Amino acid sequence: MDIDHNTLVGFAKSWGLFYFIGFSVCVVIYAFWPANRKKFDDAKRSILSKDDRPWQ
Amino acid sequence: MVQQLTTGERQNALVILLAVFVVGVAMAAAGGSDPLGVHGVIVLLFGGGLGALVMRSYYEPEPTLDRPSHYYDDPIKAGIALTLAWAIFGMFMGVWTAAQLAWPDLAFDAGWSTFGRLRPTHTTGVIFGFGGNALIATSFHVVQRTSRARLAGQVSPWFVLLGFNLFCILAVTGYFMGVTQSKEYAEAEWYADLWLVVVWVTYFVLFLRTIARRKEPHIYVANWYYMAFIVVVAILHIVNNLALPVSLGQAKSYTIWAGVQDSMVQWWYGHNAVAFFLTAGFLAMLYYYLPVRAQRPIFSYRLSILSFWGITFFYMWAGSHHLHYTALPHWVQNLGMTFSVMLLVPSWASAGNALLTLNGAWQKVRDDATLRFIFVAVVFYGLSTFEGSFLAIRPVNALSHYTDWTVGHVHAGALGWVAFITFGSIYTLVPSLWKRERMFSPVLVEVHFWLAVAGTLIYVFAMWNSGILQGLMWRTYTQEGTLAYSFLDSLVAMYPYYIARAFGGLLFLLGAIVAAYNIWMTVRAVPASIDRRTDVPDTGLAPGAAATPAE
Amino acid sequence: MAELFHRKLERTAIGFVIAIIAAASVGGLVEIAPLFTIKQTVEEAPDMRVYTPLELAGRNIYIREGCYACHSQMIRTLRDEVERYGPYSLAVESKYDRPMLWGSKRTGPDLARVGGKYSDFWHVAHLTNPRDVVPESNMPAYRFLARTALDTDDLGRHLQAQRALGVPYTDAMIANAAGDAFGQAAPDSPFAAGVTERYGEKTQVSAFDGVATQLTEMDALVAYLQVLGRLTDAPYSNTAAPEQAPDPTN
Repeated sequence: MDIDHNTLVGFAKSWGLFYFIGFSVCVVIYAFWPANRKKFDDAKRSILSKDDRPWQ
Repeated sequence: MVQQLTTGERQNALVILLAVFVVGVAMAAAGGSDPLGVHGVIVLLFGGGLGALVMRSYYEPEPTLDRPSHYYDDPIKAGIALTLAWAIFGMFMGVWTAAQLAWPDLAFDAGWSTFGRLRPTHTTGVIFGFGGNALIATSFHVVQRTSRARLAGQVSPWFVLLGFNLFCILAVTGYFMGVTQSKEYAEAEWYADLWLVVVWVTYFVLFLRTIARRKEPHIYVANWYYMAFIVVVAILHIVNNLALPVSLGQAKSYTIWAGVQDSMVQWWYGHNAVAFFLTAGFLAMLYYYLPVRAQRPIFSYRLSILSFWGITFFYMWAGSHHLHYTALPHWVQNLGMTFSVMLLVPSWASAGNALLTLNGAWQKVRDDATLRFIFVAVVFYGLSTFEGSFLAIRPVNALSHYTDWTVGHVHAGALGWVAFITFGSIYTLVPSLWKRERMFSPVLVEVHFWLAVAGTLIYVFAMWNSGILQGLMWRTYTQEGTLAYSFLDSLVAMYPYYIARAFGGLLFLLGAIVAAYNIWMTVRAVPASIDRRTDVPDTGLAPGAAATPAE
Repeated sequence: MAELFHRKLERTAIGFVIAIIAAASVGGLVEIAPLFTIKQTVEEAPDMRVYTPLELAGRNIYIREGCYACHSQMIRTLRDEVERYGPYSLAVESKYDRPMLWGSKRTGPDLARVGGKYSDFWHVAHLTNPRDVVPESNMPAYRFLARTALDTDDLGRHLQAQRALGVPYTDAMIANAAGDAFGQAAPDSPFAAGVTERYGEKTQVSAFDGVATQLTEMDALVAYLQVLGRLTDAPYSNTAAPEQAPDPTN
């Protein structure tokens, strides 16, 4: 089968969109997953702690 | 520097430098009188010079055994010094080229000093020299602190930093000699590009291994941005620079992409270089140094995650907005326009997140010039991402494209956002890195701030005016339906703005020089704490013990 | 146990990298992949010829001097551009261009159709000192081009590299590259005939910088400027009307 320009363009236009929607859904789920809340809160506060040595 | 390395590591460093030296000799031999030969000499001097430096300290005592219990800060310090050196060089070239547009005779009667050759020395000098070194230095700092782990290598951080600078040197010296691919923001020729791939892969592995060593369970969001910056720049760089050299002894190469494809590849690269070099990496700085300086956690961590993936995803589609109304297929132009407009959402999410972090601490912004640098950076980030989306709309682009408006937009981003966030980060980083209580002179930080603000505003307003004026003059018709202005009319109208622009740039350069002086004095000044400690009766503590303050 | 924990961390870091690549590469693939089949949709131009060795050398000087920083070579499909510069640029016109030099900034005017617009003499005078010809110009002076001999020894290799990438240079073109470069700028020399034989009757053969005995970089650059927009007649037979930009005056 020969892939012609229009097929490729059509594929790009349709599947690009589906991919985009799927991707956004995954990201939103990850960001709002309740179990992740604590992790995120720790992360945003941990950078403010004053220690200047690597943890062993 | 070398003192931090064990004998084995010193030997490794010497082997690498010897290899660089040998490559330099080979290039010089193969290149002969071609610019490639000159670059061979530069490479061999670079490898040989650094090798001599290592040899000089080769027999010095080895580092103490508690080395792993300290962060590895030496490469960061060197990176900051290189950042400032490139800032002054790159901005000086910018002022010179800007002045040439107003006074074209400000060149010597030789090729190297003409506008066309100097312009890439400015763009490479500031984007890669200044921006790149700042990104490498801060990424080394942030990844260690947020992972609570020492860098996963002793020689490799130096290899990344110095190797990257060798790339910049090859690129810039090449432009003076007329070695260029004429690909905007990727002008360096094939051998420099190959070298950058080696450096970049090392950078990637080093960064990934450091993250893998982390003691914190979660990877802090700033590291995400650095990671995206490293990974995507590698992809962009390799794809855009695929080329066939005329011969192995010549600097000249021909890109494998031709015509329309090349235009799309170049602007896919060009726009994403803005996205992942000049945005993602500097957003990483924002997400670390803003909370640290303000001593407040980021407003919403979730929002930072959403905007991260938004930016990573959307930016890739936007490149074709540089090619509106050209021979690029229409649907690609529309796709680029649509995504450019959508890009505003994650961009403003980041800017809003940063501003809301500052909300409630405005008195700090008022009093602390360093925090004000970061604040202004956020404002300009919001402004120029809005402007970017606006300019990507086809009818607007019809007016703005090819004019100084684009130049104004780029500099609103490069000066207002990139340089401001960099200086804000450096002013935060320098005192903590060198264990000083504060900068040598807070007044000079203030002076720098106002020079930079004035310079940016003058520059950007001059270019907005000239760009819009130019665009309108090109398309104005007379009553009879003919074009009202010749091209020359529009050029003559530009001169006042070109003078104003050079002046704005000069102010910004002066600010950078003030910053370099201030940082130099901060580093040189003996910390007050040590003064105090040596000024008290002997408590039996060895004098040297104070040199490494234990925090 | 500690070892296992460490592995897991490493895995998340790598998974994260893969996610970044997945997110970031789609946009590029979607936009760029279809361009590989674009030949099917791009207009044909059977009369399109390749650059002569001298023009290619001139193009490389144009690249070396960074002319693209101030001059575009892409007339957009807008009425005012078409009226100012000529028929809008077609994709086919730059199909041999490596790299393309469409440019992004017009500090000076567009050059896509500058070929034949001015005399060779005008170009030489203008490049020598633009302000002698156009007093208001802010273009740099390129005096040194006229006193720099053109290096023709490796032109064959340049053509060969181009052919390896798909530009249809023939064996005869590659073998005679240096001679053709000389001949194109020396109309009375025995080398001149070969240029028109290999590159077509329409190829301009003249003493571009006014001196036919020595081949300089000025010759090459002027030869290149004179062929801009003249490799094919396709744009002149294209009948699609340009888009009209919104006119602010009415």
